[in-house]
Amino acid sequence: MNTQRIESKNRLPEKMHFWPRLLFCLTFFPALLVPQFTKAAITPHDPPEWFVNMGSFAQSAHGTFSCEKCHGDMKQSGKMHPDSENPSFLTTDALRHYNYQRCESCHKPSYEQYLQGAHAKALLKEQSDPVSTKKLPDNKKAPTCGNCHSSHYVKGHLSRVEIGRQMVITCGTCHPAQAATYLDNYHGKAAVNLGNKKAAFCTDCHGAHHCLSLKDKREALAACKRCHPDATASFAQVVIHPTIQDSPEKDQQKKAHITLIRVVTILMSILVILVVGFFYGHSFVWLLRELHEKLRRHK
Amino acid sequence: MSTLEKKSPETFVRFSPLQRLLHLVVMIGFTGLAVTGFSLKFSDQWWAQGFAWLVGGAAHLAWLHRFFAVITYGCVLAHIIWLFYFKLVLKGNITGPQSLFPRVRDVKDMFQHIGYFFGKRHIPRFNRFTYWEKFDYLALFLGMNTMGLTGLFLWFPVFFTSFLPGYFINLAQVLHLYEAILAVALKFVVHILTTHLRPETFPVDKSIFTGKTTRERMIHEHPGELETIET
Repeated sequence: MNTQRIESKNRLPEKMHFWPRLLFCLTFFPALLVPQFTKAAITPHDPPEWFVNMGSFAQSAHGTFSCEKCHGDMKQSGKMHPDSENPSFLTTDALRHYNYQRCESCHKPSYEQYLQGAHAKALLKEQSDPVSTKKLPDNKKAPTCGNCHSSHYVKGHLSRVEIGRQMVITCGTCHPAQAATYLDNYHGKAAVNLGNKKAAFCTDCHGAHHCLSLKDKREALAACKRCHPDATASFAQVVIHPTIQDSPEKDQQKKAHITLIRVVTILMSILVILVVGFFYGHSFVWLLRELHEKLRRHK
Repeated sequence: MSTLEKKSPETFVRFSPLQRLLHLVVMIGFTGLAVTGFSLKFSDQWWAQGFAWLVGGAAHLAWLHRFFAVITYGCVLAHIIWLFYFKLVLKGNITGPQSLFPRVRDVKDMFQHIGYFFGKRHIPRFNRFTYWEKFDYLALFLGMNTMGLTGLFLWFPVFFTSFLPGYFINLAQVLHLYEAILAVALKFVVHILTTHLRPETFPVDKSIFTGKTTRERMIHEHPGELETIET
């Protein structure tokens, strides 16, 4: 389970749109089968483990801190060493039990935004129902600070594009369909693949720490308007993530649009395959006939 | 009737200077559109990222794509204006047997030509434009207009969604992509193969660049047209 999670953390989600890729491949050359270097260029999270790698820690943004600054010391009231006889010894998920209020002392605005945001609301809901939360897989649980940010190894002074590329992996751990559709969208292609720092990354629309779902139409329009100031309500209805994963049942409109987009995609694929197939065959047989005649003449 | 008059010319004009110029500009514009467009669509590939780096990033890629789109569509407009001029002022025939207008005969020609590929029948006596030339031309002409329209949707999404629903932009995106794959497959593979790289014409059919063709080629490739000229 844990290894699975590490695996999925290290990889960008697979592309959703397979047909254009296959058609392009069949039409021209198998260049698309060459390994994609965006995936390799993004450094994965260090896998979580019990021991802190002090070499990496020293190079991180928190590298100058002493351990006690974030973890307190054993003399603090109510603190004791973990009980090795306790069955839950060493199985407690540190990422979910750390007291993240300690982050607030340095990152106050971010912490406050988090508390107002969708992730904190989901966390509160989970805490009110701990039994069913326990059954959830790790990537379905509401995230704490530590789920998205690596406190020991987080790098400082990264460029906007470097942060953005990391962000797609981090957000994609729990929202794989959204990450895949984003990467298939102009925003994702320009920002992640081509490193255009003017293009939008996840948090540019959804807000860092607020993490809004943008299912609210006014919120969505406000997000669009940050870059497209003349945007109208129907501009905000352009489907950015054509996936029905996580979309509420009542959003029939979006579902209908996605179905329409898929139907048109299938029809266009059939058209391309038929026309290209016919003319490729036509040209190939013609070429054989002319070669045959040329060779016969030279005999 | 003197022998001088009776003697037919050895070279024939196949394309006017305007047609040659338009072909040249469209050739450059279309290639530019294909390369810049596919570099964005397949931007997770090394070759696309290499090309994007070469032209200076995604913003330049977008700028170049629009530049090539404007010059290519400019050719379509010039061509439409010329078509009207040819029909209305020069009183030319744009639907006759020697024109690019599709006719029932083209379907028959196609089946006969395919019969020839398998050694069953003779090459049809083609007129000025063969069925594949007509398809090449008409598919591109139609494609340029639909690509132009869907391209405008993607260029000015804010304007178009001020009176159309948002999913039109998504549909434009799908149509633009698949038509691009179709157009590039037909032009870069089928057109270049059948027009230039066939053993008959290899390595290049120069008539679209020089505008001229020879009597020998006319007899072989367009006997129907030669007959009409000489009677």
